[in-house]
Amino acid sequence: MRTNTDSIAQSRAFHQDRPLVQLRNVHLAFGANQVLKGIDMDIRKGQAVSIVGPSGSGKSTILRCITGLVHPEQGEIYVGGVDVRALTSEQALIQLRKNIGFVFQQYNLFPHLTVLQNLTVAPIKVAGVSPEQAQATAYELLRKVRLAGKEHAYPGQLSGGQQQRVAIARALAMRPDLILFDEVTSALDPETVGEVLTVISDLVSDGMTCVLVTHEMRFAEEVSDEVYFTEAGRIVESGPPEQIFHAPQSERTRTFLQRALGKTGVEHPPTMDVLPAIDFKGIQFSY
Amino acid sequence: MGSNSIFGYLWAWLPALLRGLWVNIEISVLAMLLGTMLGLVIGAVSLSQARGLRMLTRWYVLLFRNAPILILIYFTTYVFPFELNIFSWTFPFPDWIKVVIGLGLPASANVAEIFRGAVQSIPSTQWESAQSLAFTRAQIFRIIVLPQCIRRMMPAWMNLYAGITMSTSLASLVGVHDVVEMATIASNTVARTDFTILIYFTLLLLFFMYCYPIARLTRSLEKKHAN
Amino acid sequence: MFTIDNVLRSFVELTKPLGLNYSFMLDASERGAFVHGMGVTLELCAWLIPCSLLVGVLIAAALTSSYKPLVLVARSFVELTRNTPTLVQIYCAFLVMNMVITQSLKGITSNPLTSFMWVVIVISLHKGVFHAEAIRAGIEAVPSITLDAAKLLGFSRRQTLFEVQLPLAFRFALPVLVNNMIDLVKMTALASAIAVGDVTYESIMIWSQRDNVLELLLLILLFFGLLTWLVSVAGRWLEQHYRMPGYGQ
Repeated sequence: MRTNTDSIAQSRAFHQDRPLVQLRNVHLAFGANQVLKGIDMDIRKGQAVSIVGPSGSGKSTILRCITGLVHPEQGEIYVGGVDVRALTSEQALIQLRKNIGFVFQQYNLFPHLTVLQNLTVAPIKVAGVSPEQAQATAYELLRKVRLAGKEHAYPGQLSGGQQQRVAIARALAMRPDLILFDEVTSALDPETVGEVLTVISDLVSDGMTCVLVTHEMRFAEEVSDEVYFTEAGRIVESGPPEQIFHAPQSERTRTFLQRALGKTGVEHPPTMDVLPAIDFKGIQFSY
Repeated sequence: MGSNSIFGYLWAWLPALLRGLWVNIEISVLAMLLGTMLGLVIGAVSLSQARGLRMLTRWYVLLFRNAPILILIYFTTYVFPFELNIFSWTFPFPDWIKVVIGLGLPASANVAEIFRGAVQSIPSTQWESAQSLAFTRAQIFRIIVLPQCIRRMMPAWMNLYAGITMSTSLASLVGVHDVVEMATIASNTVARTDFTILIYFTLLLLFFMYCYPIARLTRSLEKKHAN
Repeated sequence: MFTIDNVLRSFVELTKPLGLNYSFMLDASERGAFVHGMGVTLELCAWLIPCSLLVGVLIAAALTSSYKPLVLVARSFVELTRNTPTLVQIYCAFLVMNMVITQSLKGITSNPLTSFMWVVIVISLHKGVFHAEAIRAGIEAVPSITLDAAKLLGFSRRQTLFEVQLPLAFRFALPVLVNNMIDLVKMTALASAIAVGDVTYESIMIWSQRDNVLELLLLILLFFGLLTWLVSVAGRWLEQHYRMPGYGQ
């Protein structure tokens, strides 16, 4: 159920064939450090795209380019047909960001607001939604991320996994066309990673366009339509998950996956469904 | 008065002003000495195992931190006797020593709190590892905790000293011949508006030149400690 | 019978064996002067708390602005005020600037500024500087990634400031601000130096006649103790009201 916010997918007679997000030959440097060295990317509406690769390969920077948080010195970025580099006024950037959801590694919830207020403050103040409507949406979203009942808790009272799910709900509350996930499980305890991944895979099944920068290889394989492997600011290889994870064409992709997944192909550290349940009954401890 | 330059007058009065400033500095140093020695003792007591002693120190600190310094100075100046009679000897009890006590007492309350804060900021893991190595409580204090405390206390202690120095200006209100009183005398003697403006701003500048370097030093110490 | 007169009389009788002479309380004019003094002190506090906060906010804004000359001016003012005694500042204001204003207004109109106003101005500026440092530290303590989160939700710079940055900065700065307010209350005693009729000044007037310095100082200490206690209670209520449960764990 869309609200009155300007949807990228509906503006400017947007072609269904044209990708929602396009990056062409994007180069970006922070000072003397060349972080992105010619990135080309296409993300179609409804797709789930994963970006994997070693730390420092520029994955998070790609996401920040898409939202206009950082500007490349060379190359083009189009979101919904809009040239992001041409957006210079604050108003224009706000219009862009209203339609893009962003979930951070460190959740970044507002600590002085309750969960409910965290979810409603942006729709009310930025999108002009009525408080009653925003609250109704917030309750619905909290149910969806399996946190019904936590409306009046403060972020500090929730676990890491719970806070991250609230952060996802907060991004969803703005009804974006696209959600970017920046290593959202890297800061979580292994036990809570599963609950966040479940929410994300629900979103993907619902048809939300998602871009995930992640280290969770098995999850990326399960959920993605397309996987990009980046290294040292370049895209080494891209393709469907079957190709990247099982028949990589580049030696560097193979090396990275071996190191990330271990020689036996078992993920380190294991996710929730790999660990068997441990039964302590009947075990005697003796010195 | 003739058309003498006010700067000429300032130059003439400068030695007297500096002598007055020296009185302020003397008071501040002695008050800080008294406050530090007394404060360390009280700080140590505030960490004792005995609940009664801890409560006593809490009340001490509460009293001296909630009382205006001016009132404390009036207290020690007007309530203490003019002279002390011990064993048929008579010691004059000059006003400036009373001001030293009046400033030293609140300083001691602050030093006690600074000390307690520094000790409590030492992570408990250090205590635990020292205890597991069979150090006694006193040994842990002396060898491990105290050296670190002194470093942690430095910025706050120096800040306190700067504050005490500025509070010495209150001595002028109880008749001590400090730099503020000297400035007032000078202003009344020369009796020229432009000179009055100059002398009072010079007074401001004199305190600034003494206290600002202390503040800068404190801040650079804080930065070093933060690393 | 519990009339004021009887209560005071019993108090005077009770303290006599302790060596304390509170008979000034039975003299209507002296008693009235002391009570009036307490009222003036309360009035000073009532003006100083909001005025110093306003100065603090303005100076903090100047210190964190992107206009370099403004930052420089603000910083110099902060350093000058923090490193000079309040008493000397009061003298500079009242004895010097007031005189200048009176003289330049001579013939046109009389100087509207009273010594009370000068005390409020000087102490507001003096404590305002300390408030500003606390607020500035609070603003800088807001993590930049929290501000990024606001930006990416579509908040404008103004909205980020008012919805996220300032509320968080205020919560961080609150304990220091409350401490500053306690110092502020104690500082009102300096008003007596330029003959503003606060509780200290009235007491000086009384004890110079009656020589009961100790008795009056004890009363003043009780009075200030009560005031600072009230301020810390208010402070604790504010900290409780604006707390962020679970923050920092």
